[in-house]
Amino acid sequence: MIDKILNSKVLIIAIVVGFAIAFIWYLLKQPTNDLVASLPGMDNRPKSLGENDSVIIGEFFERFNEIDETTSGSWPRFRGNEFDNISKDTISIAENWPVGGPPIIWQIDLGEGHAGPAIHKGKVYVLDYDEEIRADALRVFSFKTGEELWRRWYEVLIKRNHGMSRSIPTVTDDVVLTLGPRCHIMCSNTETGELLWSMDLIRDYGAELPQWYTAQCPLIDDDIAVIAIGGKNLAVGVNISTGEIVWETPNPDNWKMSHSSVFATTFHGKKTYVYLAVGGIVGISGEGDDIGKILWKTSAWDPTVVATSPVFTNNNEIIVTTGYGAGGARVKIFKTETGFEAILVEKHSPKNGLSSEQQTPILAGEFLWTINPKDAGALRNQLACYHVSDLINPVWTSGKENRYGLGPYLLIDDKMFLLNDDSELFLYKITNNKSAMLLAQHKIFEKGVDAWGPMAYIDGYLILRDSRRMVSIYVGL
Amino acid sequence: MSEKNKYQNRRDFVKKVGKWAVALPIAYLGYELIQKTSAQEFVWQIDPYKCTQCGQCETNCVQTVSAVKCMHAYEMCGYCDLCSGYLRQGVKERNTGAELQLCPTSAINRSFIENPYFAYTIDEELCNGCGKCVKGCAAFGNSSLYLQIKHELCVNCNLCSIAQTCPAEAIQRVPNSKAYNLKDGYKPKES
Repeated sequence: MIDKILNSKVLIIAIVVGFAIAFIWYLLKQPTNDLVASLPGMDNRPKSLGENDSVIIGEFFERFNEIDETTSGSWPRFRGNEFDNISKDTISIAENWPVGGPPIIWQIDLGEGHAGPAIHKGKVYVLDYDEEIRADALRVFSFKTGEELWRRWYEVLIKRNHGMSRSIPTVTDDVVLTLGPRCHIMCSNTETGELLWSMDLIRDYGAELPQWYTAQCPLIDDDIAVIAIGGKNLAVGVNISTGEIVWETPNPDNWKMSHSSVFATTFHGKKTYVYLAVGGIVGISGEGDDIGKILWKTSAWDPTVVATSPVFTNNNEIIVTTGYGAGGARVKIFKTETGFEAILVEKHSPKNGLSSEQQTPILAGEFLWTINPKDAGALRNQLACYHVSDLINPVWTSGKENRYGLGPYLLIDDKMFLLNDDSELFLYKITNNKSAMLLAQHKIFEKGVDAWGPMAYIDGYLILRDSRRMVSIYVGL
Repeated sequence: MSEKNKYQNRRDFVKKVGKWAVALPIAYLGYELIQKTSAQEFVWQIDPYKCTQCGQCETNCVQTVSAVKCMHAYEMCGYCDLCSGYLRQGVKERNTGAELQLCPTSAINRSFIENPYFAYTIDEELCNGCGKCVKGCAAFGNSSLYLQIKHELCVNCNLCSIAQTCPAEAIQRVPNSKAYNLKDGYKPKES
């Protein structure tokens, strides 16, 4: 009997102790024990993503042929002569095309990328990436036949990263200036191809390579090359004949290089170089004793990625757009007693107004033309026209039946050429300056892919590309 | 006369053949109809090209957590450092800090491969099917992230509660033999 009681007491005690242990365990148990905190560094990202190889810029040269041809027109740099992507040629454009599309004059193969052409005095200049020999190659072709005339190149490792080449050469009578995907500046003689000077912006200035490589197209203003860097210096001015550094702009805010290009304009009578950096917008003096000095800056508009370039109105304003959710904005430059001030006066999301992801909108008269990005809500991927005073409400859109991608568009007289991602070319006629009527469309390349490189036009010939091919087509009457 | 060699006149023979000629197609038609109406042979699946990433897959599935998961078409991915499916819009840094991530449950693992490539893999146990990463990838990337109903988790309701509310009508019944609308060659595990 006692044994039974004892046994039952032991049993009860054992149960109580067991419950007590379970209760203490329950109290001490942290339900978050299994959670793993997401902290920086868990992706094993190395401290530096930079490549350490040394590049001998412009090391090699080869001439294939010489020609004695020229052209009356010129498209010598990104967005043409006047940086507006509007051709002033007087040749009439055909309003309809034959069944097979506009005649193809020549076609060449290129390395994968989006680098557009520049045209000057009978030659086409392209900064290509030669995937076989792994080299940035400034390739010069006959405008008339597409025959390669000469190339200057240097070995540099570029890995496929949404394309390899991106930047457009800037050509004058004397020099051709290129900026390679990994920040290598090369200046060559326009005719002979002789290497004049070079710079490595990462090695010399500590530039940080932008995402998906460099797309900046260098500016030549008179005899000065204006190059945005974003490393030790925000920008530099370089004598194009000698390579001598003429001025350097400090970079106190450690802003970084974007895909945007430096454009020159005038605010309140002062010549200014405007750059959309990763970090903010800056205006740099382009003349006088203070050349190269920062006149104004603002970080009120600071997207993660900036691919487009600034558009200037006649009202001392800059209109900026970009993708990745940033939308568009208007910055006004004011003259103050001590200098200048930049104020962000308008900012909107891509759903609420004019925006663009890759291509810079075209300002024609008082109207802005753009292709809204994928995150623009109902207007996504539509060609749209806005009055410059109202960036919110479009005056015309191409409609939901006519959506486009990230490809380029340019204006010639009252015609707009627009290239879709798959290389389908569209011809619009601008009516009343603010609406457009589709006249013709034709797919240029079979299985065209990523036709994003800017187009160039002179003398009735349009040069365009997809990711691996470039053609010259005749679009004149 | 044995049964085997029983006399059969031509009229009976034609009658018999006629009966079989009518009965066999009717029986086959019945079999086909049963096959087509059988819930076991069809499953619910998302058409990734119709999906608008509205977020209802996360909240409307009868399963907790949702049977809808993110999938990754590696053949389409750009392996970008700045991945718009992984990082929130407007971030200035690119690392694995929780405050930078778009995914509310940290279900995407990011790992460095070689300069400049990063790989992104989905932890399906953590994924709740909200589609935020898919939306980010579609807006600025290659659309390599997309949503699919995982059949080892789906209870295959007769009337799928997500399909009822899907604004894009992107969820439809598909044959079990083609249970996934894949964007690349990924083969899901047998359920």
